[in-house]
Amino acid sequence: MSSIAAQLILNGVIAGAIYTLVASGFSLIYNVTKFMHFAHGAILAIGAYLFYAFFGLGWAVALPVSIILTSILGALTNFLVYRPLRKRKASSAVLLISSLAAMIFLNATLLAFWGADVKTLPHANPIFDVGIASITATQIAIVAVALLLLLGLTLLMKKTRLGKAMRALADNKDVAQTVGINPERIYTVAFLIGSALAAVAGILIGLEQNLNPVMGIQLVINGFAGAVIGGMTSVPGAILGSLLLGLVENIGIWWLPSGYKGAIAFALLFLFLLFRPQGILGKKQREA
Amino acid sequence: MALLGYFTHLGILVCIYAILAVSLNLALGFTGLLNLGHIAFFGIGAYVAALLGLAGLSPWIDIPLAVVIAALVGVILAIPTARLKGDYLALATLGFTFIISSVARNWTSLTRGALGLPGIPRLGSISVVLAFVAGFALLCFLVVVWISRSSLGRKLQAIRDDELAAQVLGTNTFLYKLIAMGISAAMAGLAGAWYAHYISFIDPSIFSIPDLILLIAMVVVGGLASVRGAFIGTVIILLLPEPLRFIGFPPTLIGPAREMLFALVLLLILLFRPRGILGKVDIS
Repeated sequence: MSSIAAQLILNGVIAGAIYTLVASGFSLIYNVTKFMHFAHGAILAIGAYLFYAFFGLGWAVALPVSIILTSILGALTNFLVYRPLRKRKASSAVLLISSLAAMIFLNATLLAFWGADVKTLPHANPIFDVGIASITATQIAIVAVALLLLLGLTLLMKKTRLGKAMRALADNKDVAQTVGINPERIYTVAFLIGSALAAVAGILIGLEQNLNPVMGIQLVINGFAGAVIGGMTSVPGAILGSLLLGLVENIGIWWLPSGYKGAIAFALLFLFLLFRPQGILGKKQREA
Repeated sequence: MALLGYFTHLGILVCIYAILAVSLNLALGFTGLLNLGHIAFFGIGAYVAALLGLAGLSPWIDIPLAVVIAALVGVILAIPTARLKGDYLALATLGFTFIISSVARNWTSLTRGALGLPGIPRLGSISVVLAFVAGFALLCFLVVVWISRSSLGRKLQAIRDDELAAQVLGTNTFLYKLIAMGISAAMAGLAGAWYAHYISFIDPSIFSIPDLILLIAMVVVGGLASVRGAFIGTVIILLLPEPLRFIGFPPTLIGPAREMLFALVLLLILLFRPRGILGKVDIS
């Protein structure tokens, strides 16, 4: 195998890990609340920018502070926007539109504070040669963190009381309530965890690429596409789908200009929505 | 005179966006299709008109062609997505917007990519343009009013309210969704073609997501399934940020402030008046 092909495959795996990072928080929230929280993309970008803002104080400060603040911001979005809408019994289409509005609002705030120019996080990023391809330290961190987070999320969902409550709520809200699960409390927790995951994703992506205010939009849609392709309801499916998406995108630029990367992702998503909406590993939903 | 020019400019934009809002309302409000691809039809209309216009075709040929091609693309998008509902339809149509924008950005030999297409011929003075777009906006409004009162409109609303029931009663819901998307896309293409010929420059930023939310805000603020609402929503959302220009707001902040303002208005309407000003139905 030529070294270009090996590098493209490795790039595909790294891109897949990035989508996995993005998809983990987004699909956690989607599975519990049953609507598409597009503002997750803006929250991810804000996480990266907060890290940038505190970067001067050193990693030991910047990392926890930015993750905690982003987590609170996510819960606040839920509290101020989605909770009042749920109280009014708004449909999931209304929640989706409100999440797009929240996304635009948060992105514009970011733009007003930090401007439209690209920001970089200067850090030592040694490159390792692995035979016929090369990988940077940040890329290794991305792949490792993606795997750890998915392992952690699987354990959380399967083994803990909180995870069981989340799955119960996702399965049947009314029955979950009758056994004493408070939906609003679980939603808050889902937004706290999901947004913390968004911050982790944003920071890693910021270290690997650059920061720009609209970085989250394409990422969240690609991450979600990965989750849909793999199967919304299945964690191994989400990894598989994100990996497939990353690979197809990166191998696709063998034939197409690299600018078409995004279009390749959507073409794949489109095909899955049409022919296998439940994804590779997902179970058939009762009502899509 | 400068002030008159400014108001004429606003008038033209209101008419172009009113066509977009009323056509989105046909899909979203009357038929219940959460179509996030509407801005793509607008962009396709603009690009077709711009490319043909720059190639030397008369606007009286390139604008109708833009309408026809946008309508065709609308039908082509509707064929595979007709069986998708709610979130999945939203995601697929949003993906479609990204694909089209990616093509406009990367097919540089045709579209010049991010450089955009300058020098699209104008159709006379701005008052002439205003007269034309106002006429076309009125025409589109009348068409939608007529549809809403015809048996076609009742079928579309039946699909929105209960698709299964409509099927049981013998409506070919697939066909009617195609018709709704085709007409809706045709009007968006018309708006795009006039936009290109008025601004005389377009680039791939025409497919921006904030502009898509702007359109949805116009429809939701005015009210779903209301033709007058679409017009009122357009006027409110388009003119609301204009005072920012005159109160000495820093120019670099006007863009973000505009987006924040209409996102906030959309959120407040969804929270406190979910049916908008004149809306007849909830967003399902």
